[in-house]
Amino acid sequence: MTTDIGTQPETAPAAPGTPSNTLSIAISGSGGAGVMTVGELLLDAAARAGLYGRMGRTFGPQIRGGEAAALLRLSSRPVEGVGDAYDLLVALDWGNIDRFADEIPLASDSRVLFEARAGEVPEIIARTGARLLEQPYGEIARGVRGGRSNLVVLGQLARILALDPEVVRDAVRGRFGGTAIDTALAVLDLGLDRAPPIDRPIKRSSAGATGGSTASLPPATPRWNLSGNQAAGLGALRGGVRFVAAYPITPATDLLEWLAVELPAVEGHLVQAEDELAAVNMCIGASFGGVPAMTATSGPGLALMLESVGLAVAAEVPMVIVDVMRGGPSTGIPTKSEQTDLDVAVHGLHGEAPHLVLAPLGVADCLFTTQWSVELAEALQVPALVLSDQSLAQSRLVVDEPPVRVSPATRRRAEAPGEGYRRYALTDDGVSPMAVPGTPGGMHVADGLTHDPRGRPSSRASDHSAQLDKRRDKLVGFDFGDAWGEVDGDGSLAVITWGSSTAAVREAAARLRASGRAVRTIALRLLSPLPVEALTRALDGVERAIVVEHNHSGQLHRQLRAAADWPCPLFAWHRPGPLPLRPGELVEVIDARLTACSPPEETPA
Amino acid sequence: MSELRQFLSHAVALETDAAERYDELHRAMDVHHNAEIAELFAQMAHYSRLHRAEARERAERAGGVLAIDPWAFEWGGGESPESAATEAVHYRMSAHDALAVALAAERSAHAFYAGVASTTSDAEVRALAEEFAEEEGGHAREIERWIERLPDEPDDVLGDLDPPMDVE
Amino acid sequence: MNEPLTARDYKSDVHPVWCPGCGDFGILNALTKAMAARQLPPEHVALISGIGCSSRLPAYLTTYGFHGVHGRALPLATGLAVARPDLTVVAMGGDGDGFSIGGNHFMHACRRNVNMVYLVMDNAVYGMTKGQASPTTETDWTGSKLTPAGTHMPAFRPLEIALASGCAFVAREFSGNPNGLARRIDEALDYPGFAFIQVLSPCITYRPEQMGYKKIVHDDFEPTAVRTEAMARLLDDDGMTTGLLFKAPPAPWQGDPVPDRHRAPERVLRVGAAA
Repeated sequence: MTTDIGTQPETAPAAPGTPSNTLSIAISGSGGAGVMTVGELLLDAAARAGLYGRMGRTFGPQIRGGEAAALLRLSSRPVEGVGDAYDLLVALDWGNIDRFADEIPLASDSRVLFEARAGEVPEIIARTGARLLEQPYGEIARGVRGGRSNLVVLGQLARILALDPEVVRDAVRGRFGGTAIDTALAVLDLGLDRAPPIDRPIKRSSAGATGGSTASLPPATPRWNLSGNQAAGLGALRGGVRFVAAYPITPATDLLEWLAVELPAVEGHLVQAEDELAAVNMCIGASFGGVPAMTATSGPGLALMLESVGLAVAAEVPMVIVDVMRGGPSTGIPTKSEQTDLDVAVHGLHGEAPHLVLAPLGVADCLFTTQWSVELAEALQVPALVLSDQSLAQSRLVVDEPPVRVSPATRRRAEAPGEGYRRYALTDDGVSPMAVPGTPGGMHVADGLTHDPRGRPSSRASDHSAQLDKRRDKLVGFDFGDAWGEVDGDGSLAVITWGSSTAAVREAAARLRASGRAVRTIALRLLSPLPVEALTRALDGVERAIVVEHNHSGQLHRQLRAAADWPCPLFAWHRPGPLPLRPGELVEVIDARLTACSPPEETPA
Repeated sequence: MSELRQFLSHAVALETDAAERYDELHRAMDVHHNAEIAELFAQMAHYSRLHRAEARERAERAGGVLAIDPWAFEWGGGESPESAATEAVHYRMSAHDALAVALAAERSAHAFYAGVASTTSDAEVRALAEEFAEEEGGHAREIERWIERLPDEPDDVLGDLDPPMDVE
Repeated sequence: MNEPLTARDYKSDVHPVWCPGCGDFGILNALTKAMAARQLPPEHVALISGIGCSSRLPAYLTTYGFHGVHGRALPLATGLAVARPDLTVVAMGGDGDGFSIGGNHFMHACRRNVNMVYLVMDNAVYGMTKGQASPTTETDWTGSKLTPAGTHMPAFRPLEIALASGCAFVAREFSGNPNGLARRIDEALDYPGFAFIQVLSPCITYRPEQMGYKKIVHDDFEPTAVRTEAMARLLDDDGMTTGLLFKAPPAPWQGDPVPDRHRAPERVLRVGAAA
């Protein structure tokens, strides 16, 4: 199964005014300048106009008033990840920009539109060689009583992108309420009415369109604008989750908050727990009662939960934990992304406690993967850890409406247990029917103590081995089907990756293919149990593979090397956060690997 | 207590509690490998069940056992009188110790019935209470004789040689 | 024809491993008597415990049970009780499990007031791990190898903490009075919120002096529905008073907002949808 993200953005925009099909725009400002609002409105307006796009955010440590930037990438075709340099930076001021300037790489053909009264252009921006264009945003905004620069910027960007102004107005109407609407629209118009300093309409893709401006795009298939956290929440609901325990932690909190609103409508329950230890145990309790349960956290919270995840493994109680990974270790960088919890997710339980670990490959894939994780956890009576991360969770993505997939109820229940019911009976596939409280005849005590098939505590070697085998075999013997991962392309060089790194890897591979180099990408969605056979098959014909991931020590690489003898050497390339992986840097990495392994040129005699 | 069924229901409950308590002690001693005392308590449980059956039969003849909440019985405070006192048991207790516990239970039961006999206004209840008191008295004397027949036990000078284990 | 269930019918065939003389036998008796008095179908009861001698109790009954990890019986029970309000949920454990590692959950369970009964079998010692001081151990008890000079800390006061945290059914009982405890459990099962009963339960192995509890426990609490009165009553309490201390209508568990069933979760995610 492959998802079509098929972006082929041009690596360098052509001369000013020439439309390109993808544009990266950063909007920065501080002290409540409202750049996030503009970013969200721009994405919304672009989506309404028929474009695709993504929006990420970067901001300082203050809760309010800090320096912030909205990071957008808009395109006529679906995008997933970040690009390389930003085509356009709009700066409402220069507050602390050196803190995140390296998240907004600029090239010499980038354009910087900046507030005229913001003071001297910082060296870190000036030295990029980007063209600097002063703009009187503040002065323009004062044309309306209560006007703010950010909405002027919105209007200006709409002109630059040649978005239909009415679409932009609709977006603004959807955002503001009451008397604010009139002011907002008036300020927007100030920006719309002014001739833009540059043009950057987004070129349509080929089929049917005349290649004209953005404004002429016919309505496309229904599309969504959602974050990874929302997608994961929806996936959980569709998978059947009806109980959520919540303890807030950046960057998982808004997943839980979204569910707090949506769960009651499906007669589910959300309980705010006093800590992560309570949250995970509440889920186990609800699940013991027969109700699919889930919580979401980040690295520090997952670490607290691990003892009880082991309890769920030992007592064979299903549940799902979404770990929205952030910069680690310890408190780390809470607002930044890093694929830093793979080791603890797979190996962090004391004792030997096989369980499920999955990682969504993109924002929309958070929906599929979380939903699938619920089904798997229920079917295998085991906890599933879903490794999302901040870059997926808190980025908004415009996507084609995902197909609705109805989850079957997969938990094997003992509906009419008889005399001598054995909760942990040794069955062929290792899954033993679970009697849910309320079921006559099925009474048993679920236990973290090692037990016999009846569930009675036992220290016998035979019982211990039998239950260890049971819990391992039920996982490794399960047919996970094709969704274990996604393979694209051919070639004797493969790039293996997992989770959110997939976007940058695929985009890099697409560029290489466009220049005639064959590259195969393998993105792992299932990480534990590791799909060794499937991955081995995917590596058929591969002479060397490079494992690319967003962490400091190459966690997947090490785990792969430890897990099996692979048909080809596995090289490692990895970099920690907070800066995201970019396709351009991966093109260089992969190219270097290709070059390094090419047969040596014939040496002249 | 002036009603026959009420009284007999108390008697049934008294023996039920006694049997349950002896069973509990029997099992606990069994788990702790004090076979001699486990057997002793099993015997006591057996007798209590016999007495219970008798009381039950009489109660059936009087119209059946009343359903009374456990806390609504008129024992005069706390547990039913023939429940062996658990604060006096120990896993290494001797036959002397165990029979002393049983003796106390029987005497307590006797005192209960004697008390009912002396305070009830109902002739039938009085007659039965006197009969049961007599019986309990008889049990107590049997246990006294049992104690007398026990061989002398040496003082437990060495004490408990097994330290407690931590098992979880 | 169905014979009514007796207390004995609620006992499983697993023999308790508690030391003969352990107070926990009394709690087991009281529970089975209370359930028999109510004729609770065993399949509708779930006993949730943590780790420790007292936490072994669920295995000794014929109901459903969950023997969880140390200190986390209350959140386990909470998840089950919220997801399955049709069940009768009883959480239990010892004083270490409940007031030390579980202390945080204890306070918040009192606040949250989900419908369940919580029994703490309090012997003021960590029995399972060989006799360390627990939160309710007296300041000057020198019987532990871990704190041989005594803890030097004032003992944890569970009833006060329960009252301060908003618990509206607070009682203390004694394992040596199983009928009285059975009555309290019966009342607690009727109570539509979080009902907390601290049960003094002597440990014959590590605190043999507690075998004298029977002589000093006194059943003197007069129930009040005024929280300040209950708190004042505790100010000079000797810790050996039993009875129902405080009972007032529970603040309802948050409840979920009334569902708007016309809301499809997808609606906020569509492009062009109103917020």
